[in-house]
Amino acid sequence: MAIEASVVEGAIIYSNLLVLLSIGLTITYITTAVPNFAQGSFAVFGSYIALTLLRLFGIHPYYSIPVAFVFGGGLGIAVYIFVLKPLIKREAEIVILMIATLALDLILLGFLGAYSDYLANITKKGAKKFIFTPYDFNIGDFSAIFIVSLIVIALILACLFLLLYKTKFGVALRASMENPALAEIMGVNVEYTRIFSWFLSGSLAAVAGCLLPFRQEIVPLTGSIIIVSIFAASIVGGLATIYGALVGGYIVGISESFVTYQLSTVFGSGVLVYSKVVSLIVLIVMLILAPQGLTGVRWRKVKWLKSIFSST
Amino acid sequence: MEEGKMAQEYLFLDIVIWFGLYLIVCLSLNIEYGFGGIPNFGRALAVLIGAITVGGIVNRILMIFFGISGGIVEASGEVKSVVNGVIATNPGMGIGILLVSLLLAAILGAITGALFILPSAKLSEDYLAITLLAISEVMFMVSYYNTDMIGGYYGVSVPNILAFIPGEHRLLVFAGVIILTAFFVYLIVHRITNSPYGRLLKAMRENEMVVEAYGKNVMTIRIKTVAVGSAIAALAGALYAFYSVNVIASSFSRVEWTFYPFLMILLGGLANNKGVAAGVLAFVTVKILLIVYKFEITAALHLPFEAVWLEYIMFGILMLIILVYKPEGLIKEKPIMTEPIKRLSKSVKGNK
Repeated sequence: MAIEASVVEGAIIYSNLLVLLSIGLTITYITTAVPNFAQGSFAVFGSYIALTLLRLFGIHPYYSIPVAFVFGGGLGIAVYIFVLKPLIKREAEIVILMIATLALDLILLGFLGAYSDYLANITKKGAKKFIFTPYDFNIGDFSAIFIVSLIVIALILACLFLLLYKTKFGVALRASMENPALAEIMGVNVEYTRIFSWFLSGSLAAVAGCLLPFRQEIVPLTGSIIIVSIFAASIVGGLATIYGALVGGYIVGISESFVTYQLSTVFGSGVLVYSKVVSLIVLIVMLILAPQGLTGVRWRKVKWLKSIFSST
Repeated sequence: MEEGKMAQEYLFLDIVIWFGLYLIVCLSLNIEYGFGGIPNFGRALAVLIGAITVGGIVNRILMIFFGISGGIVEASGEVKSVVNGVIATNPGMGIGILLVSLLLAAILGAITGALFILPSAKLSEDYLAITLLAISEVMFMVSYYNTDMIGGYYGVSVPNILAFIPGEHRLLVFAGVIILTAFFVYLIVHRITNSPYGRLLKAMRENEMVVEAYGKNVMTIRIKTVAVGSAIAALAGALYAFYSVNVIASSFSRVEWTFYPFLMILLGGLANNKGVAAGVLAFVTVKILLIVYKFEITAALHLPFEAVWLEYIMFGILMLIILVYKPEGLIKEKPIMTEPIKRLSKSVKGNK
């Protein structure tokens, strides 16, 4: 069955954004050991930054990316310092930290909702539901969002790679991710690495949020829907490594888009709203087969794979 | 003057009704999280299942019974008017429908509870919480968009099981029904948590390895516990559906039925049924007052936005404050007084 080019394009755009969100989730999970249930709302925060700049100053959302990056990072740092750090200091259990991020998600939802009312009031234009597709244009045969999302992801991955492997700070960062206690003994300030990871998590999510309205409608509640895909992507890849987010983001993003598209050709466009069911199924299958994620599987030790290779 | 009195009575009954509904859900969550340490971030699912039982299943049974055909959205309206007519002359019918529905809701709640924890029953707390939240969130979306199950965004009507009672007394009697159910649930949960099983749950919460070493299977305990908890929570969903005489998926959101219950049990005190009741009462009173006076609040504070957002921000911050400054809640957890422990504490006091 031939798949339309626009579907492939859409799937790749979505996957790129999902990768950004999952990298943020895994990096804070690695340094702080808490899955951030507010990651989806971090993205919506970015969407509203882009919307504000567009409505108030007429700035195109593509130019808002750096602003979203900075503000998103600020939000990430604030969350760590004001919410998680006091709890970690009191040696709160992981469930308490998770509940704290749930509370944070609700607070963010409240602020975003209130802000959307406020923005609608001053611009006299609805802000509870918006989409950027009318502002997109074409570059050659592709839509601009396709090119932009590819450039953004390439740029961010390259910077991340350089940072982690070519700088002293990166070495310290990786050391404190692998073994915080040992890194601390060696003189690494684990606190800095945590703050940095939350900065990165918030900024990547806000950048993804800046671009997300080009693909789907945004409402203040979008965060609590998209979180399912973010968790699925991070767990499929493996919560313990950053590469996991890369692998998982593409697997979940592409399967969510393609499987729903294929189903819609059979059952009609009504099934398109069930795209998150696909993510959930991928997540559950992964949890049953290999809860440590794809990057956590020791592929050489998988017996049935071995038997396939030795027989051929 | 008369009007003011009526408004006051209405406010009081509203608080009673929500106290009852939330008490049922919070007691169920307390078994799972307070005692068993299972972070069920998908509590809303079981409540939704209870509502689906009434709106989707009992409605269909009544459709067959009264020979009504057609789509569930329109047919449920017809079922409502026919059944209301029957109940008006035959109270037994209304009470029968209520009891059968509650039983059915509990059974379906138990089954879905056991099934929905299966993929993650072996996993650590964080994975468990993520999976339960994801399943609950996706089911919420499906039941909102799928119009064949419980009418999706249109919703379905539900018969008024108290149609034999004059309209002006309905609220009072319904408050009675809900508070009575909540009282029974309280007694049952009290028994469960004071039994050896309750102590096993606490042991699991403190150290799973020890429980395994004593030959108990943690996975089985988790599945059983979530099944029991979900059965209880489904009761609240069914009662809520009957109370509001309609079911719409959007009323079963994560905020209302997962986050708020967590807030209430943490506020009241974990693993402590009296504390939970105190937490529910405090929360419900504040919440209902906020809803009733929302226009006054918006006007008085000159809020340029809807009061519901303020509610989210406030309760979110309250949760963080509790977690940081008062993690033990209003009433602290007490050791379970078994006969040997009572004797022991007596002899200790005697020696002094």
